[in-house]
Amino acid sequence: MTEIQTPLNLAAIRADFPILDQDIRPGVPLMYLDNAATSQKPLAVIEAMDAYYRRYNSNVHRGIHKLSDEATNAYEDARKRIGKFINAASFREVIYTRNTTESINLVAFTWGRANLKAGDVVLSTEMEHHSNIVPWQMLAAEKGIEVRYIPVTDEGELDMKAFKEMLDERVKLVTVMHMSNVLGAIQPVREMADAAHAAGALILIDGAQSVPHMPVDVQALDCDFFVFSAHKMLGPTGIGILYGKRALLEAMPPFMGGGDMIKRVELSGSQWNELPYKFEAGTPAIAEAVGLGAAVDYLSKIGIENIHAHEQAITAYALERLAEVPGIRVLGPADAAQRGGLAAMTLEGAHPHDIAEVLNYHGVAVRAGHHCAMPLHQRFRIPASTRASFYLYNTFEEIDGLIESLYKVKETLKA
Amino acid sequence: MDRQEAIDQILDHFHNPRNHGEMPGASFSAEGINPGCGDVVKLYVRLGNDGRIEAASFEGQGCTISQAAASIMTEMSPGKTLDEIAAMDADLLIETLGREIVTNRIRCASLPLDVLKEGIHQFRGGDAPRSTDV
Repeated sequence: MTEIQTPLNLAAIRADFPILDQDIRPGVPLMYLDNAATSQKPLAVIEAMDAYYRRYNSNVHRGIHKLSDEATNAYEDARKRIGKFINAASFREVIYTRNTTESINLVAFTWGRANLKAGDVVLSTEMEHHSNIVPWQMLAAEKGIEVRYIPVTDEGELDMKAFKEMLDERVKLVTVMHMSNVLGAIQPVREMADAAHAAGALILIDGAQSVPHMPVDVQALDCDFFVFSAHKMLGPTGIGILYGKRALLEAMPPFMGGGDMIKRVELSGSQWNELPYKFEAGTPAIAEAVGLGAAVDYLSKIGIENIHAHEQAITAYALERLAEVPGIRVLGPADAAQRGGLAAMTLEGAHPHDIAEVLNYHGVAVRAGHHCAMPLHQRFRIPASTRASFYLYNTFEEIDGLIESLYKVKETLKA
Repeated sequence: MDRQEAIDQILDHFHNPRNHGEMPGASFSAEGINPGCGDVVKLYVRLGNDGRIEAASFEGQGCTISQAAASIMTEMSPGKTLDEIAAMDADLLIETLGREIVTNRIRCASLPLDVLKEGIHQFRGGDAPRSTDV
């Protein structure tokens, strides 16, 4: 039996998330286990965004008046704190985007379009989210590049031997998710970065599932691009980050054209603004940047190491208890130490959506489907899976609730 | 029909699908997927001399609701004209399945009807859908 131990004060943390304190119907409390889809927001984030709209809503980088000045300062100060959170060398390397997906598309359609030519290879993986497959397929159709996929082993890990064999001189970019949103597997991205660089390729790391849950140091990882979304890390929807090494970003053409991304516009042509503004055309998501800044502050206050330790403990407990339920098969590495805080599963004789439906009836919110990773599900020859994913506010009692509800699922669906 | 009765009816149609399988000599067939769930339903229709649906069958895979809905759809269709199907909304199918059970998954429940309507549209010479998502 796993020892139930956490460095977090869960009662205090849960008090910061008013949404968690509700019944989905009378007498049935909500157990929110869908954090890999999106996280809940603490009062600190909600109040920071509320304060922006109540007290200093204004456009940034524009007006010569007090509110605009305050809004610009808040927007830029958030960028600096976000940069520190991932240990970027400069705020100029931290680009605001809409989300992880847009960050990857930005790299594909600026760096990729400018630097890749027919015959070049982008090396992705079988476990990627669609957002790290489709932009490269679109670029392949446009430029005649080739997208190849590093296979996943039967154990649910990236096949590192195959990766090294596939890394030939045609490969110009390796693009990989730090933590799988289905398998939970954490990839050895530093080792992959070194191998990519030795082969003359760049590396892009999709950190959508890692930054919210574990310490990330982009300089220590030596990655060229690192992308993530605010909404999975206690922040609002509608804002994400592209980190890139400064020299690369400097050399890249802009993504979208418009206001704020230019230094000078003449009818005959324009001159681009300096970093990071070159990539931020138009009025940005200001309240959302303020919200993400508050989210990063909150995560830092609790301690991302503590959050990671809590999730490791709760995941180990969940894996142990799930193994007790007949017919349940958990995807991904068996060892909790190699995983992030989620468990995607199948139950013999029951469709994942039916499982999620009955779990919902008992208050447990999970996600069912292919989790935007259809190729990965095809690789394991399953149409879909049911995923429970954890965060800093989840309790061991909620894992017990999940297990009890899974037995009710078996009863209801006669599985 | 209480909650468990509705679930049991759906499970019965799922485990013992009516009119299941390919229909040789069908007048037309149509297939659709529900990308959310990954449900696939293919419906076959044979028309009688009077222009009414004489028989319908289905093949598919996916969640219990989509497959049970397809099974029920094949039971509902015979005797109806194509115009009657084209004018049908999903309510009858949803009520038959149990509204409380399918309320979060209307797209699973309505998939077979959507597929059948698309089949009628194409049978009558309409354009193929722009994507496989009906």
